[in-house]
Amino acid sequence: MTFRILAAFWRLNVVEELQYRANFVASVLGTLFSMATALLTLALFFHHTTALGGWDYWEIVVLLGVFNALTGVIEAVLRPGIGQLAGEVRSGELDLVLVKPVDAQGFVSFRRLDIWRFTDVVLGLALAGYALFRLGRTPSLAQLAAFGLSLAAAAVVVYAIWVVLMSLAFWFVSVENIAVLFDAVYEGARYPVSAYPGALRFLFVYLIPIAWTTTIPASALTGRLRPEVGLAAAVVAALAFVLARALWRAALRRYSGASG
Amino acid sequence: MPSIVTAERLSKTFQVKVRDPGLRGALRALFQPRYRDVHAVRDVTFRIDPGEIVAFLGPNGAGKTTTLKMLAGLLYPTSGRVEAAGFNPWTGGPPFKRRIALVLGNRQQLVWDLPPEETFLLNRAIYDVPEGDYRERLAELVALLELADVLQKPVRQLSLGERMKCELVASLLHRPPLLFLDEPTLGLDVTAQEAIRRFLIEYRERHGATVLLTSHYMQDVTALASRVLMINRGRLLYDGALEVLVARIARTKRIELVLGGGDGNRVTPEALASFGEVKSFRFPNAVLEVRREDAPATSARLLAALPVADLSIEDPPIEEVIRLAFARGVEEDE
Amino acid sequence: MIRRYAALIRNAWLVDLQYRASIVLWLLWGVTEPAIALGIWWAIAGDGSVGGYARADFARYFFAVMLINQLTIAWDSWYLDRWIREGDLNYRLARPLDPAHEAVAENIAYKARTASVILVVWLLVAAAWPAVRLPFAPGRWAVTLLAVLLAAAMRFFISFTTGLLAFWTTRATAIMELHAGVSLFLAGRIAPLALLPPAVAGVAGVLWFRSMLAFPVDLLTGAVHGTDAIVRGLAAQLFWLGVWIVAYRIAWSRGIRKYGAVGG
Repeated sequence: MTFRILAAFWRLNVVEELQYRANFVASVLGTLFSMATALLTLALFFHHTTALGGWDYWEIVVLLGVFNALTGVIEAVLRPGIGQLAGEVRSGELDLVLVKPVDAQGFVSFRRLDIWRFTDVVLGLALAGYALFRLGRTPSLAQLAAFGLSLAAAAVVVYAIWVVLMSLAFWFVSVENIAVLFDAVYEGARYPVSAYPGALRFLFVYLIPIAWTTTIPASALTGRLRPEVGLAAAVVAALAFVLARALWRAALRRYSGASG
Repeated sequence: MPSIVTAERLSKTFQVKVRDPGLRGALRALFQPRYRDVHAVRDVTFRIDPGEIVAFLGPNGAGKTTTLKMLAGLLYPTSGRVEAAGFNPWTGGPPFKRRIALVLGNRQQLVWDLPPEETFLLNRAIYDVPEGDYRERLAELVALLELADVLQKPVRQLSLGERMKCELVASLLHRPPLLFLDEPTLGLDVTAQEAIRRFLIEYRERHGATVLLTSHYMQDVTALASRVLMINRGRLLYDGALEVLVARIARTKRIELVLGGGDGNRVTPEALASFGEVKSFRFPNAVLEVRREDAPATSARLLAALPVADLSIEDPPIEEVIRLAFARGVEEDE
Repeated sequence: MIRRYAALIRNAWLVDLQYRASIVLWLLWGVTEPAIALGIWWAIAGDGSVGGYARADFARYFFAVMLINQLTIAWDSWYLDRWIREGDLNYRLARPLDPAHEAVAENIAYKARTASVILVVWLLVAAAWPAVRLPFAPGRWAVTLLAVLLAAAMRFFISFTTGLLAFWTTRATAIMELHAGVSLFLAGRIAPLALLPPAVAGVAGVLWFRSMLAFPVDLLTGAVHGTDAIVRGLAAQLFWLGVWIVAYRIAWSRGIRKYGAVGG
């Protein structure tokens, strides 16, 4: 039921967005620009060193490609719907959402698509592919499978983090830019975990588990991934999802109790 | 007494980019733009004396807001001359702006997250209103608009009507002689609309301010404006009193009936049709439209022939009069 | 005029108070980029140094970037773009106050609030971590303050002028983002200019980018030596400030003219 309703919204979205072809060009240019900036930054670091955390240049470019693919998914699927949420909580429009016969969490998360952002996913994967080519490595089938799985797990972890942020929007009603918090911290996912000094590494692995989201899938592609780490990633993803949903339900209970 | 607003052959033409559909059209628009002229205001001439309340009436896109913006100095005329409060609005600068107030119905100047009082204090500083005058004027305005318990709440918690009232207060602290109000009662409930109309009349009475407003609502016009400027498609169709307009345009009268009689011999719409055009029929109420000159005679016949409990002769609704005026233009009496 | 600024700043301060949660988030975002850069350079420097910067030097550099970037960054292009597109410019133009004053007042209120937070954090961190401590040098700090004011003023005019492009294009914010992307390198946000390839660092010095951030930061950390270098740096700042003020005036008068032709 939820899916059919979502599909209806998506169809409308796509028709809307196709009218704005200029948006497409702007979106692609924007992504290319930020990717170029990231590559230049990396080049600057590697002007002064030969490896970061044991990873060499093209290995990190693979990671950068994965980073772009994941942010593409975030921008295309999650941010449009969740971005509206804080305003709706404030204005009370959320009630209109809650009375619909859908699962609120699923609905709010996935109701809008910014389809042009899927090009980020394509560009990101293309970049990763090119970097693998420069490394002279072709991933085996097992590695590709591991990559697929860990990427999926990464997407789940990212989604769980967003659900936590969404839930926080119920407590901190004036927080319009809760997405800003995500952007700030997610910047840390641009580099492999091993590149960071101790304290930051602790932060990005255990406290805000973003390290899992890019380092692990990239490791799978470049052949660095140890199987037990991959398994741990899947467990973390499941755990994160369960915890996040619990927080969401608590937040919703509080909201429904408080209003009206 | 010199006029406070003068418009002479005022015209405003916008150049709008012409864009063909499709990708090729979009590209062409980028490299070889073509323009077409939109004549928003054509050759409009009028004068307004101090202390008048004047309403600009017209459908959407007629040119009312464009004219108002030229009077307020936000747009400059393509041709013609405009003078307001002794200045050329476009070049008037701060001295001109101190003598006017502009209230736009769809956008507000009140700071959203703070109580209205904070915006008032800000305006006091911007307009350099002396402390004593500020307190006195604020007290008067708050009393006239009945805003006493609202001033401490953040603007976002106020109703639309309360917000509009606060907008008015914020705009009048510097006591400008000239007020421009664009759709001031837009979207307000009836109580709020009436409160604002009463306020404007009272304010004009006390301080002799000149008020120019644009509106969709007939009640604004009938309650407030002694004078109506009708604008359609950029042209000034009519400039004068409202009653005169109605008399000129309305060639018909409406006879409103309350019919009597029991269930046995109920009057039917067909029976009424022989007396005039049946505009509405919902037993026991009915409305007939007849020619103006026939109204008394037809009324007499109705009273004689049918069981009528009550009868009155009215002008057609002003909306219809206005619609007719726009459709047909305003001709002289025949 | 002073009374008007007092009222404008007070207003902006109160609004910021309402949005303090959001402001904390923006602060975190502003701090993350230098923090991550510090992390990476820290790893690269190891026990030695890179281009003359050891770990402690990097720590001081990026804390200075955090503070001074917060003091000089300007968001006005986004506000102005929105004002122009959503019709919020109209009532501002009908008032006897140039809208630029409101923007300046907002900057002052916002920066006073956020920079003081960063300063306090820096002091607290310095209590525990010797690497980020600066030697007590009031003379240098005074000159830095001057450089910071010049940089803040220049960045304001850059931002405001870019925002005024919204009179002509819907992509004014994209232009600002382009500028921000370039200044990531050329203004010294990602690394001290000394670590850039010399040609690139040269461009930063010839244009206004060094004056934006890198110069005041180097002043504070003591990387600028000698009166001569200090004077030349300040002179460059003054020059570019002048250039951008002229650009602003041209954009404003042309933009208002266009606005009066087509409306909002």
